[in-house]
Amino acid sequence: MLRYISRRVLLSLVTLWLLATIVFLITNVIPTDPARAILGNTAPEASVIRFRTQFGLTDPLIRQYGRLLKGLVTFDFGLSWGTKREVWSLIEQPLFRSAKLAALAMAITTPLSIFAGLIAAKFRDRRLDRGIVLVGLATSSIPEFVTGALLAVVFGVNLHWFKPVATIPPGTPPLEQLQYLILPATAMTIAYFGYIARMMRAGTIRALDSDYVRTAAMKGMSSSQVMTRHVLRNAIAPTITVMSVQVGYLFGGIVGVELVYNYPGISQVVLNAAKKKDLPVLQVAVLIVALIYMVATLLADIIIAWLNPRARLELGQS
Amino acid sequence: MEHMGNEASQGLHLRGQFTRRQIVGASIAIPAVGVFLAACGDDKADDKADDKADTKTTGVSGDSKGGTLRLATTKPAGPLDPIAMDDLGSYNVIAQTFEYLAGAEGDDIGPSLATEWTANADSSEWTFKLREGVKWHDGTDFTADDVVATLERIASAGDGLGGSLPTEDDPDAPPPEGDASPAQRLAAGTVTATDGLTVVIKLGASNASLPYLLCIYNPQSAITPKAFAAGSTLDGSPNGTGPWKLDSYDPTTGAKFVRHDAWWGGKTPLDGIDMQFFADLGSQVTAMSGGAVDAIQQFSVVGGDALLSDTNFNTVEVQSATHRQIWFGFDEGQFTDQKVREAFALSIDRQELIDTLFSGRATIANDHVIFDLYAFHDEGAVTQRERDTTKAKQLLADAGFPDGLKATLNAVDVQEIPQLAELLQSQAKEGGFDLTLNIESLDTFYGTQWCVSYPCAGSAELGIVDYGHRPTPDVYLLKAFKSGGDWNSSQYSSAELDAAITEYQASAELDKRKAAAGKIEKIMWTDIPAAIPYRYNNLGGFSKTFTGVQFTALGHTLLGKAAKA
Repeated sequence: MLRYISRRVLLSLVTLWLLATIVFLITNVIPTDPARAILGNTAPEASVIRFRTQFGLTDPLIRQYGRLLKGLVTFDFGLSWGTKREVWSLIEQPLFRSAKLAALAMAITTPLSIFAGLIAAKFRDRRLDRGIVLVGLATSSIPEFVTGALLAVVFGVNLHWFKPVATIPPGTPPLEQLQYLILPATAMTIAYFGYIARMMRAGTIRALDSDYVRTAAMKGMSSSQVMTRHVLRNAIAPTITVMSVQVGYLFGGIVGVELVYNYPGISQVVLNAAKKKDLPVLQVAVLIVALIYMVATLLADIIIAWLNPRARLELGQS
Repeated sequence: MEHMGNEASQGLHLRGQFTRRQIVGASIAIPAVGVFLAACGDDKADDKADDKADTKTTGVSGDSKGGTLRLATTKPAGPLDPIAMDDLGSYNVIAQTFEYLAGAEGDDIGPSLATEWTANADSSEWTFKLREGVKWHDGTDFTADDVVATLERIASAGDGLGGSLPTEDDPDAPPPEGDASPAQRLAAGTVTATDGLTVVIKLGASNASLPYLLCIYNPQSAITPKAFAAGSTLDGSPNGTGPWKLDSYDPTTGAKFVRHDAWWGGKTPLDGIDMQFFADLGSQVTAMSGGAVDAIQQFSVVGGDALLSDTNFNTVEVQSATHRQIWFGFDEGQFTDQKVREAFALSIDRQELIDTLFSGRATIANDHVIFDLYAFHDEGAVTQRERDTTKAKQLLADAGFPDGLKATLNAVDVQEIPQLAELLQSQAKEGGFDLTLNIESLDTFYGTQWCVSYPCAGSAELGIVDYGHRPTPDVYLLKAFKSGGDWNSSQYSSAELDAAITEYQASAELDKRKAAAGKIEKIMWTDIPAAIPYRYNNLGGFSKTFTGVQFTALGHTLLGKAAKA
């Protein structure tokens, strides 16, 4: 197991290096001049030239690439070209906010979708099953920013139950923060509920049809014992894999929700950095999101191995 | 006393017949041209009158209730460097803490850090008397040295108030790597502090509009302390003279301000401002409608219509010269022939644009930048161009396009411009133009379609670009239409227009300026370097639980007199 984890960590580092190289290449082949993009088209030429010199944009690309790698290794990410602040200081808080929102969304989505998947499988091909599948399909086909806008208008603007935007004033107690976060988290739940529930349903049906479940039932175990001891443990593995990917997406791919609710998360940082060609921020933010993907999938594999001795054995051998 | 000072300036410089008010006409409106409640119902008229009175009560004094106002604003696009900034989000943050020699007053500019200004006979030398008793936020005195240092920094940055400040080579600052031209600094003797509270500015040429280049409507001219190094930012050196001290700043979420107790304008009724940054208009409108903020810096009819019908919301409409220019390439392409440009201009149904895009809250323009709101606009110079698609087709045929003309209309994805492009595509079709649209984001458009290199060159042959409000048209004329102008995307060059602009700038008296402006109108209307279909008013607003929130034509939110209702 330890060998497997070490190997995965090493592989992640190589992936990160490759990603850093790709991001560097992509951001440097775009024809837009970063100095002009950041200072604006009306900035005097003298300011533009000063900017290029200050941030080493006149250096050969290989030297700029070396600087990027050195920064990543030493965790000294340098200054943002756009704001002239430390890159990490611009990423730290948005990352924390994204983590908070993602955690809330997962806290709502996970039990709800797992429970729905179990119920749907248990009542396979009956009305309840069809209803859950249909609702899941319908909600997951609506983009989360559309649902988000609808929720904001209905529950934020019209009913005043929750805040229509998620800009949380500093010092707001955690419970009060729910007022701000519940609508974006719900929008994300609506979008991902269907997918996870269907995965859970499929895994449960496969487990229910298996020989070991039939044997357990024949041994006289109660229905609930069979579900908790045998079905759930085996059915949840693919669901965990799917959820680990969703965690990465909840961090870096919910720009629509963040825009609708004016939530300053990491997605907005990536978007703004890309728009402004603030390459130091863009590179670091993209790599951090990638790192989260990797950590989430690694954790998922470990959890699956913990739940399933057979998987543990396979991992140990690999 | 201060106003007497200004009257004196009018007497000396404007000779009593060309007042500041006349210069800009009704171009700037604070509190507003119209503050109204766009609600239905029998008491609508009464509400309007009440709201108007509220906003006019700029003094709101003696009954301070404290509290904080939550303001939704556009996120600043870059560092809060007062000289380098170029977006409304930054302008509004800067304007809370830093001030200008001239501020916004009624429908004109008025005293701020300078209490009066006078010029010599040909407007080539200006004297600014500064306000006594002004303190920086760190408690030190504001003096003429701060103004001199600020103007030196502005000149060294390269622009120099649109080229008005004479510069010279700076031997102490060698040019950065890759720049062939020497670094510049303010020419010796241009700006001098004759005493602690008097600044004299000697220009290279006559310029009757200088105070307008040193006012809040030229945001880069904010006065910063002498010790404020070039390239510094507000959040790095938060030391202004304005009513609000910067308490905290996060470029992604917002800024907090607290009262500057020693502000020369008196104690602010509010304790502080909580400025919240937004990336788009939609979420600002949602926040305002849902009560998450108390005021919104700026919104448009397209996308902001929910606020116009919100009964808890005061809409403030300020007349402005904000407009769009549909430029035509003069150097190459299909629009080099005047007949083609005129055909395009004749294809435009201006009233339909205004009705569709602004619900009527805009004014028809006539393909020149001497708008009707400027007092020196010569209404008799040219007739209003009306739509005539038959004539447009005939002109196209005469120009060698009997079967019509195919072109790409490039536009920037800002506010109503994409919708404007679609409407123009439809309207121009009837005039014989088959247009393909290319809508680009704010981040790429200016560098790929508008001005590819600098000064402006390599522009597309046809495009739409946005221009914000200016209290006089000097910036539009010098940058967009004068030969070699930095923003001259048409590559238009006319010795006749250049001469008229020089004549206009040197004219301090209304009659002379109007005569020069009339020439400019005629030349632009005839040559059509750009079609300019309309100008529109700035919209901002605030909750009815507050009073005294003021907006400028450019989009600043001024909160020194704002109070809880």
